[in-house]
This record gives sequence, structure tokens and C-alpha cells, in this order.
Amino acid sequence: MKNKGLGALIIVPVLSIIISFLIGCIIIAALGANPADAMRYLWKGAFGNVRNLGTTFSRSTPLIFTTLCACFAYRCGVFNLGGEGQFIIGSILACYIATKSPLTGVPAILLCAVAGAVGGGLWAALAGLLKVYRGQNEMIITIMLNYVATLLMGVVYTNWLRDGSVPQTVAVPDETQLPSFLGLRATIAFPIAILTGIVIFYFLFYTSSGFQLRAVGLNMTAAKVNGFNVKRYLLMSFIVSGAIAGLGGALELLGTQLRLINGFGAGYGFDGVAMALIASLHPLAGILVAIFFAALRVGSTTMQTATGVPTSVSDIIQALVIVFTVAGMAMVKLPEFKSRFARKAQKEA
Amino acid sequence: MAVETAAKEVLRMEHITKQFGSVYANRDINFDVRAGEVHTLLGENGAGKSTLMNVLFGLYQPTAGDIYVRGQKVKIDSPSQAVKLGIGMVHQHFMLVEAMTVFENIILGDTRSKGIFIDQNARKKEIMELSQKYGLDADLDQPITELAVGAQQRVEILKALYRGCDVLVLDEPTAALTDQEAEGLFEIMHKLTGEGKSVIFISHKMREVLRISDRVTILRSGQTVETVNIGDVTGEELANKMIGRELKPSQYEKMESDGEAVAVLNHVSYHKNSKHNGLNDVSLTVRRGEVVGIAGVDGNGQSQLAMLLTGNISPEEGSMDLKGSRVARFDPNGFIQENVSHIPEDRNKAGLVGNMSVSDNLVLKTTKDPRFSDANGLHLKKKAIRNYALEMQKKFDIRCSSVDQEARNLSGGNQQKVILARELEASPDLLIAVHPTRGLDIGATRFIHDTVIAQRGSGCGVLLISADFDEILEVSDRILVMFEGKIMGEYSGKNPPIEEISLAMAGK
Repeated sequence: MKNKGLGALIIVPVLSIIISFLIGCIIIAALGANPADAMRYLWKGAFGNVRNLGTTFSRSTPLIFTTLCACFAYRCGVFNLGGEGQFIIGSILACYIATKSPLTGVPAILLCAVAGAVGGGLWAALAGLLKVYRGQNEMIITIMLNYVATLLMGVVYTNWLRDGSVPQTVAVPDETQLPSFLGLRATIAFPIAILTGIVIFYFLFYTSSGFQLRAVGLNMTAAKVNGFNVKRYLLMSFIVSGAIAGLGGALELLGTQLRLINGFGAGYGFDGVAMALIASLHPLAGILVAIFFAALRVGSTTMQTATGVPTSVSDIIQALVIVFTVAGMAMVKLPEFKSRFARKAQKEA
Repeated sequence: MAVETAAKEVLRMEHITKQFGSVYANRDINFDVRAGEVHTLLGENGAGKSTLMNVLFGLYQPTAGDIYVRGQKVKIDSPSQAVKLGIGMVHQHFMLVEAMTVFENIILGDTRSKGIFIDQNARKKEIMELSQKYGLDADLDQPITELAVGAQQRVEILKALYRGCDVLVLDEPTAALTDQEAEGLFEIMHKLTGEGKSVIFISHKMREVLRISDRVTILRSGQTVETVNIGDVTGEELANKMIGRELKPSQYEKMESDGEAVAVLNHVSYHKNSKHNGLNDVSLTVRRGEVVGIAGVDGNGQSQLAMLLTGNISPEEGSMDLKGSRVARFDPNGFIQENVSHIPEDRNKAGLVGNMSVSDNLVLKTTKDPRFSDANGLHLKKKAIRNYALEMQKKFDIRCSSVDQEARNLSGGNQQKVILARELEASPDLLIAVHPTRGLDIGATRFIHDTVIAQRGSGCGVLLISADFDEILEVSDRILVMFEGKIMGEYSGKNPPIEEISLAMAGK
């Protein structure tokens, strides 16, 4: 039984990706280009050489953090849609420390990372407290907090930390920027993201607290009756998931963006939610999914330059993957599908 | 009586049989209703009352048997068909749209108006006339949410009357009512029968049944026992017919324990005024080495009793002693640490995490135990957990394709065995078992009873809550009866006085 369930969890996303690419190819053909060429350049652009690979890793890093943020919260049954806001809060704090504090270099980087995580965690804790002690819907609160965070960032780059005439903050000083990872275009934020994923995986599946957290997420009543402190787990899942996003925001600022500017972080939160769902809330799968989406985004530029196929085709493919996966997951759960599946299994047996 | 027997028959159900798989919910039931009478259907939980009414209302198709309305043989295949035939039903749980007004609820689903617009004034007048005729006062423009339960029920009755019903089915109508509201309902029922309407009244409260019925049909295990005129029987006779049991010798030896009192409730109350979800001045003691059975019809406070004894709710009045010391804080984990085990009422909702594997569910409470993890839970020993699960699978005969199978895919009996294994392996001092064999087959039931008795033998105090009277009689050393949140009496499990207990269960 478990194997069958696991099978569906892998088959559905893989099939969705294949179908999405097929549809993408049809669109490309309809545009008058050669789908095979377009695909080749898409691949080349994402993984074709060391430089492009680095770019893909770099682009995937913030997505990995927000994906892990969503994974963690959903595992506890909490719908944290505020990854974006938590990400931005983390980056604002990092920006302040990097540009205003007397610290530079490694100590500054460490302080930025910690402050980012703490800030993101506290930002999420607002929603968590309202959910746990006042029964407020966490989806609405976290989404609204995204706006608050974005607008707060606006004040920061237009007023408090503004750099001259342009509405953006001053840049992070060179010595506080993250070092490159193995000489690639990606910084060490990328291995940190992967490490974070591994730690979360270990926590969820190899510790007693992770086990209890998942039990709370799957059946809150049973968890309570069996003596778990449900409120504590709910609150903890908010704070930890917010901290993951906040850390991601801090590292993104120090490694890639270097300054806060209009549009920073936009969309990462919801990207993370979609990717977490495609990965069936598995942290390690989430890393792969995030890299896959980053590759589509990075590769599409090369595809456009080489074949004239617009990058929006890549956007279409990304959207289709999400739609098909979510629909597919829902379909496998339909009683009709299940009974047909069971009958087939019976016949085979 | 002569006049009554001459009264016109409006409804007759003949040889009704309804099968679900191999289970007979109704078997060859005969039942008829005359104009202007209150005919009560009396029976225990699962006697087949609801099934019979669902057949009448077109929600189920009978496996065999015929229904006649006013002498005509009819086939009722949907509730709207039943309504057309003049059958109205007020369900135990009201079917009202809470955000809408009384008026809107009453005309909801009415198909009389052919036009696009509803002639509100004409309709309201019609409804007001009905409400005056039967004394069903209701403010038509009030939203349902603002109404008390009794008033909501009047709306339900009004709705049925407005649709032209002659036979009104009231499914446990007094269950949610206060005594005063119930009085009001009885008056309405009198007015209805006075106007020639008939009422089918479903209840297991003896007092009410004796008070307002004209005739009573007793159902037991899906079959008709007898139909009697209310003047010809006493409450005792009815209760006996309803329970209808001879005392069977129990499989298990009954013990009288004078062991340590593991759990003592002193005058505990919780939501005292709620008859169905509260406790009213409950005192009881469970000793080591005995099984205390709580008998009673479902929904008389048993769930609250179980929740209180496992720390899930705290009493509003009174106190509890656990193994000799006063309980200061009611919290499930504290009780678990005190070695209280719990077989919850709803095994899927509260007992198991369905999407987790059998082995995960077996160690649900004990993952921090050094047997299953290192460093106080920082590293789970997956292998040890699996081996333990395999051991439990053998010991408790849990039938599953693998211990990695999700618990929700197991049959009810095997799910219960998973819970049993988890709860009993903790060698509890107190075991609270709520409906432990509900929905299980004979084999699994027997297994669970054997296990419970074995626990008793090893010095555990057991409190067994069950709506299945046979189960209570079978395994209890002492029997307490609960009715409307109160303990009605205490009886020895050795040669228990069945009649007396039956009456206590019916609130007399």
C-alpha cells in the first residue's frame, strides 16, 4: 500500500512535467520554431556550461528556502502563505546590519543570517499567535503580512536607507558579500540552502519532535488525545518556517541582490508553496523541484536569444506543471480512481 | 379503544426487510399508523428505528416488503416522493439553513409557485394560519440562528405541515429540548392528532413514551417484537420487551475488588444543564482489578465522562483523585504520564493518525522512549521501531499487509487492535475504554474482551463505557447506569438485575 502511494507521489509530478513539455513543444511549433532546437537551447541555457549552471543554482537558492518554508509549515498542518513577507523581513534586517553596523566580513554575515532567521520567525509568529490563541485564519493573516512587509521594505529603500536619487538602498559592502561557491556564479547560500533541506528532512523523519509534528499535521485531535502539546507544535511550525524564509531573504540579499529595490522577493513565497506541493511536502524533493523551476527560468533566456521563442513559453510550461500536478494529486485521491485502481490490482492478483 | 381501532389506517408497512451486505438492519417488520394517533417506535440503539424511517422517507430502498399509503401500494424512491404522499419528517439534527429566516426556510424547496417571483404575502398568510391552528408560534422574519432549539423544531414541524403532511415522523424530538420545551412539543402533538394528523414518535425515554403514545411498536435487533396499546402495558413491561434479554451466563468470572482506588470522581459536574453532553454531580470509583461498566443510551454524558477521565476536559465542579492524589491540572499528557490508557470513542479521529503507518501509530506516544530513540528523541531507531511493530503485530494478531501500511487502510477491528496494542503495552494503572468493540465482528470483539479481562487480572482498573448492553453485562464486575449526565444507580455485575438496569437506562 505504502509503495503504491509513494508511486503516485512520484509518477504524478513526472507525468505532469512530461505532458507540460509536450504542450510547450506544440506551442513552440505553432510559433514556427523547431521544438527540438528550443528544448536543446533551454537545456543549454540552464546546464550547458559551468557559468549557466552557476546561474541556475543561484536562481534556485531563494526558491529552495521558500519551498522548505512551505514544506515545514504544511507538514504541521499550518498553511503559511507568508513566505514572501518573512523572506523580505529577513532581507531588511540583513540590509541594515550589513550597511549600518560597524561589523564587516564573516561576523557581519553570521549576524545577518541569524537576524534574518529571527526576524522571519518573529514575523511568522505574529500569524502563529493569532491562529493558536485567537483562532484566526493563518492564510489570510500571512498573506496580509506579506503586504505589510513589502510596504515596509518600500519605506526602507525610499527613505531610511535610500542611496542618493535612486529608490534603492545602498549596496552591501564588498567584504560582507557572500563568497562564491566553488568558483561558480552561485554563492555559498546554495549549499546552505541544501544543507537546510537536509536538516529539515532529518528533523521531520528521524527525530521524535519531527514525528510528533507530522502527527499533529495529519490528525490534530488524535495528537491532542495522545498527549502532544498541539499548540506548541503549531506555534513552532510557524516560527521555524518563518525563520527558514527569513534566512533565505538575508542570504539572497548578501549573495545576489546586494541591495533592496522595488520588486525584491516578489513571488518567491507563492512559488515556494507551489513547489512544496509538487514535491509532496518532501524537503529533499522540494530542493530538486526548486532547481528544476530555476533551470526553466534561466534556460528560457538562452532559448529566446537562440531560437526567438519567447521566454513566456517557459512560464507557460511552469504554470502547466503546477496545474497538472495539483490536478493529478487530486485525481489519485478520487474514490472512482481508487476503486478502479483497486479492481485492477485485484485482477492482477 | 374501540373507537381507536376503528380509526382509518393511513400508512402500512408490510414485511419490510432492509439488508446492508449480510447484516439485516430491518427484518420482516410490520408497522401501521392510523389517522389521529401518536404511534411510538421504541427500541435500543441499532434496533432498526432509523433504518425503518429512512425506508419510509425514501432515503433507503427496502430489500423486500411493501408500503401502503391510504390503502394504495406505493413505491417511495426519494424524500420528495414521500413529501408528495403526505409524509413529513423532522430529523434529530435539524435541516435548516441557519442564515435564512424562518419564512425562507419554510418555503425552501416548495414547488408550488410556477412564476419567477414569490408572492410573499400570500405565503406568509398561509403559514400564519397553519401556525395558529396548531399553536406553532414562530416569528417568520427571524433568522434561524437567533432561535432556541425548541423554536427551530417548531419551524421544522411547520415546514412539514406547510408541505401538506398527514403523517409526521419525529425522530427523537425531545433529545435536544429542555423539559419545558418538551411539554410544549407534546401539546403541539396533541393538537396535530386532534386535527386528524398522525405522528410517528421515535424515542427511548420511557416516561415520554407512556405519556403521549396511543400505541407502541417495539423493535429489537431489527425485528418487530410487538405492537401494543399504551393502556395495556406498564413501563416495566415495555422496558423488558425493548431490552428483551435473558441473562446469559458470562464467559468471564466476575470479581469483587477491594484493591486500591485508581480513579475517584467526587461530585463532578461539567456543562451540568446539557442533558446530552454534560455531567451532573457524578461520583464514582474505579479500583484495581475490576471492570466498571457504564451502561446507558448513547449521548447521555458518556463521552464527557471519558474525556474527563483522560484529562481532555476539566470539571467545572467537583474533583478527581488519581491513584490517591488530587488531580490539579487536566491535561492528556499528564494523565498519560500517570499511566492512564485510553481507547477513544472515535478510533479514526482520536485514536489513530490514519495517514501514518501501523508501526508509527504503535509508537505514537513513546518515540522518546530509549527503546525507540537515542538522545531523548533526537534520533529515531527506525529498525527498533519496526521490530517492535512486528512483535506487536504477532502478539495482538494485527492483520495488515505490512507494518508500513497506512493505518487508515486497515479494517476497523485491526485498527482497534493497533490502539489496544499501543495502550496496553504501556501496562496502564487505569484503562478507559469507550465503545471498544463498536462495529467489530465477533472474533475481534471476543479478542478485545479477553484482553480487557487480562488487564484486570494484572491489576489495572478498567472503566468500560459502552452503549451495547450485552457487552456491559458480559465483562463488567460492577455496572453504573448513566442517564442525562447523572449516575442513575449502581449494580453488581454478578447476577445483575436486568429489568432494573433497563429502566434506569430509560430514565425511570
